[in-house]
Amino acid sequence: MAAADSPSAALRRRDLCSRGIRLAGKMRSDVIDLLDTYVERQGLDASASVAAVEGVPVAAVERWDEQTGTQRLLENLAAYRAFRVLLAQMLEEHREQLGEADTTLGRALAAVLLQVSAFAYHLEELLRLESRGPPSEEGAAPPPAPQLGLFERKLRGLGVLRELAQWAVRSARDLRQLAKPSPGSSSAPSWAESP
Amino acid sequence: MQFFFFLVSGGLVQSCGHIIPESPVLALGSNFTALCILNESCLDFGNIYANQIIWKIKNRVVPKEQYREINRTVSSVTFNDTSSLATPLTCNILADGQIEQNIYGIAVTIGLPPEKPKNLSCIVHQVSKLTYPMICTWNPGRHTFLDTHFRLKYRWPQDEFPDCIPKDVNNSCTITDVQFFVNLEVWVEAANALGKAESDHLVLDPIEIVKPLPPHNLSVNSGILPTVLKLSWDNRISGAVMQLKFNIRYRTIGDTNWMQVPPEDTASPRTSFSIQGLRPYTEYVFSIRCMKEDGVGYWSDWSEEKTGVTTEDKPSKGPPIWRIIDASDSPAFWTVHLMWKALEPFEANGIILQYEVTVRAKSSLSSPAEKCNVSTTNLTLKLPNGTYEVTLVARNRVGASPPSVLLIPASNSKAPVKNVRTLPKDGKLWVGWTAPNSYVLKYVIEWCLVSNSSDCIIEWQNEPGNVQGTYLKGNIKPFKCYLITVYPLYADGQGSGQSVKAYLQQDRPSKGPTIQTKKVGKAEAVLTWNHLTVDEQNGFIRSYTIFYKTVDGNETAVTVDPSKTEYTLSSLSSDTLYTVRMMAYTDEGGRSGPDFTFTTQKFGKGEIEAIVVPVCLAFLLIVLLGVLFCFNKRDLIKKHIWPIVPDPSKSNIAQWSPQVPAKHNFSSKDQMYPEGSFTDVSVVEIEADDKKSFSEQDLKPFDLLKKEKSTSEGHSSGIGGSSCMSSPRQSVSDSDEGETTQNTSSTVQYSTVVLNGYRDQTPVQVFSRSESTQPLLDSEERSEDHAGGGDSATQRQQYFKQNGGQDETNTDRPCFERTRQITPTNEGDLVGFAQLQISGHGSQPLGLGLEKSTQEAALPDVLQTSIEGQTVRPETVEGNPPSVDEMPKSYLPQTVRQGGYMPQ
Repeated sequence: MAAADSPSAALRRRDLCSRGIRLAGKMRSDVIDLLDTYVERQGLDASASVAAVEGVPVAAVERWDEQTGTQRLLENLAAYRAFRVLLAQMLEEHREQLGEADTTLGRALAAVLLQVSAFAYHLEELLRLESRGPPSEEGAAPPPAPQLGLFERKLRGLGVLRELAQWAVRSARDLRQLAKPSPGSSSAPSWAESP
Repeated sequence: MQFFFFLVSGGLVQSCGHIIPESPVLALGSNFTALCILNESCLDFGNIYANQIIWKIKNRVVPKEQYREINRTVSSVTFNDTSSLATPLTCNILADGQIEQNIYGIAVTIGLPPEKPKNLSCIVHQVSKLTYPMICTWNPGRHTFLDTHFRLKYRWPQDEFPDCIPKDVNNSCTITDVQFFVNLEVWVEAANALGKAESDHLVLDPIEIVKPLPPHNLSVNSGILPTVLKLSWDNRISGAVMQLKFNIRYRTIGDTNWMQVPPEDTASPRTSFSIQGLRPYTEYVFSIRCMKEDGVGYWSDWSEEKTGVTTEDKPSKGPPIWRIIDASDSPAFWTVHLMWKALEPFEANGIILQYEVTVRAKSSLSSPAEKCNVSTTNLTLKLPNGTYEVTLVARNRVGASPPSVLLIPASNSKAPVKNVRTLPKDGKLWVGWTAPNSYVLKYVIEWCLVSNSSDCIIEWQNEPGNVQGTYLKGNIKPFKCYLITVYPLYADGQGSGQSVKAYLQQDRPSKGPTIQTKKVGKAEAVLTWNHLTVDEQNGFIRSYTIFYKTVDGNETAVTVDPSKTEYTLSSLSSDTLYTVRMMAYTDEGGRSGPDFTFTTQKFGKGEIEAIVVPVCLAFLLIVLLGVLFCFNKRDLIKKHIWPIVPDPSKSNIAQWSPQVPAKHNFSSKDQMYPEGSFTDVSVVEIEADDKKSFSEQDLKPFDLLKKEKSTSEGHSSGIGGSSCMSSPRQSVSDSDEGETTQNTSSTVQYSTVVLNGYRDQTPVQVFSRSESTQPLLDSEERSEDHAGGGDSATQRQQYFKQNGGQDETNTDRPCFERTRQITPTNEGDLVGFAQLQISGHGSQPLGLGLEKSTQEAALPDVLQTSIEGQTVRPETVEGNPPSVDEMPKSYLPQTVRQGGYMPQ
């Protein structure tokens, strides 16, 4: 925790949290837009309910407020690593399916993928500041995608995006919670950011 | 001539050597060494060795100092500075010591390694809601002369991204999409054959270098208040990406200067803003821009402009009002022209629907106020002389303005301003004045353009009472004369106006005065001209200058006061042609009028009169004296110059024939010579030398008559008018052929004798013309009688003159008429004489009887007169009684005496 106690580490942590919150907010905004585009381009019903997809982390959690900061960071990191893989799969499937024809959806997917990666980087940095260090990605990798039909893949993609939107909200709250000055740290200034 | 050494080996052509390095790329300014290596096989074949090698750059032989023979097959050449290198660099050999043959050649490329790119900067341009390309620019450094590649490299800490490769340029590259909130490391890498260089790394979060799109869908809505407009818009960047702050600017339509809403009022994210403090009923233009709320990044461009109009409000002030009073129509009434200025838009606060004018007489409070509602900005009223208070209110849809009050006093009795002056300044005309001592409510400045071509249209403006100068707020033109009047207005009256004329800018007059002479004398000329019209002056005429000169003389200038219109040039030369012109000067210069020429007179005033009058007077005097002299000596002059010579052919004797009494019609003769009409009588005075000669001379005709009784009638003497100048003696001798001697020295030249029948004889014949030029005398005795009465040696004789050269029958009347004019006083006497003539022409008895009786009656008086005057007059001759007694001696029936003769 020595690193976390130094002023520069505190500033770094605050900066990471701040920008992480903003990134989560933009990611949510972009994912919402992407959902509209995705539903439209994939010919899906926006109101269609999608069952829980295997391998997709769920944002909902019980006793959220009882989680520690590290725990929150670890759960977020695991989720976004999973989303990164899932979105990469979706982008690959999209390119295989449509080639370069639908550049709008492809670019949007790529943009969200980048944001997921960026957010994961933020989480890893925060974990480093916690002197915890990010866990290796091998264990967190989602299971290989099962062989699904085209429609099922579309629904699975819809589920991924919806869950990502949920995670964006939760991540912002987690980071906001992390940004709050800890009871033992008086040096951390109070600040609040809203997406 | 070059030959190439080749070795044919196994079907392949091999050169006899090669150069190391092969086609090098060299840095400019570096040193370079090349080796030419000969093949061993060629040594034996051609007997060529390294010491025979010659290095050449193009066709130029490299100095041998730069050569080095490493061994018998290798030669090197070294260049300390590659700038002296060129392509190709060849290795040659002298075969047989003479012939130069090429072994090998290389191409040398010279350039520079890339410099480190500098000044790398990036900006993220928002092009749509989700698209944020990032453009990075840098300074590529010096030109390398080589193909140099630039790459924009960027990465996240954990991720690498594909390089951005510039297209067609070497100093910028665009990354199509960037992600915010993650630090991005950006740098530029430049590489060519000589090396690689890398710019400083730039680490940034792209969200901090965003230039967002400006807000759009701008709309302006009128607020509840007339001074407020509400501006609304849409932001095109998500709040999730960045929070925005704004700048709002606005201006009125037609104005170019923008006003800005205080930035602190719009420093927070929003999509609308109410702008306050605007003017009512005014159209405004709005525009807005945005940037990241914390000020990190770039301002967007200004949005499109949007206009909006504030609502109306009641006018903020009353219109300025003034008046012109015309009292010329009648002394008891004024014609008051009220005029006011339309309110400026920022004062009217809407559309002025009408003006309400109230005129109240101050003198009689009981009289009701007169109200008028007009839509124009003037009103003419006819009012009795007095003091009035005029109130004016402007009204629009919302309400009425505060009233403007103008006091019109009966007389401008208050103190006026002093020292009104003007000054052109900054293209405007400034008017200043000295305020009176009393408190002035406000001033009214009137002005108008003074012109001949148009009336003085008055413009005016109000100024507050605390100023003592102002600029005229109108279109003041240069070179025009303005009449400016300043009135002070008091709370209880008004001061009289003080005027001044002014020009915004002066110029030379547009023309010069036309000069002419009013009067030209011998040494002076009075010049006159008209003042230039105000339109021609272009400024204040400061002076006139008259230039005058003779044809070959120098020009002389005379400066004349501008108020004058006449000037007298003096000391001029007489009888000289002068050219004169006139210049009028303003402060800016002068202009000359047309030339005028005049010639001075040769003589001065009165000189001619002084010469002519005395000459004329002298001439007249001489003439008068001559006339007087001639008058006094008229008889003498007449005698010498114009003597009267009787014509004998016209005598009665010549026409009278007693034998033929019926020859002449008595009655006709009587008509020819009516009584009292015989007036043609001339008198010739003749002087006789002595009594004796006189007698002899007088008797001579009678002798002739006797002698020629037997001759034929009408015998001409041969003398007539032509013989008048000959001596009487000569004439007589000619006719008498020497028989008759005439010894008289009388001046009588000739006479016509008409013989009448003797008293007791029958007349023998009629002589139409006398043979002699001697005057015929009645008788010698009668002459002697008379001579005895007059004892002077010189005796005057009178002849009756009758014009000669005329026909006998036609010559009478003219002669009578002329004579009547000459001797009118003898008319009465001539009557008697006419009677004698009649008797001569008529029947003898009748004639004689008549003659006798007449003579008897008239002679006594006449004779007396004749004697007394020693001058024998015809009339006196006629009435000479002795002649009657001596009638038988003479054939003359007339009373001619002393040799006198009365012609017919």
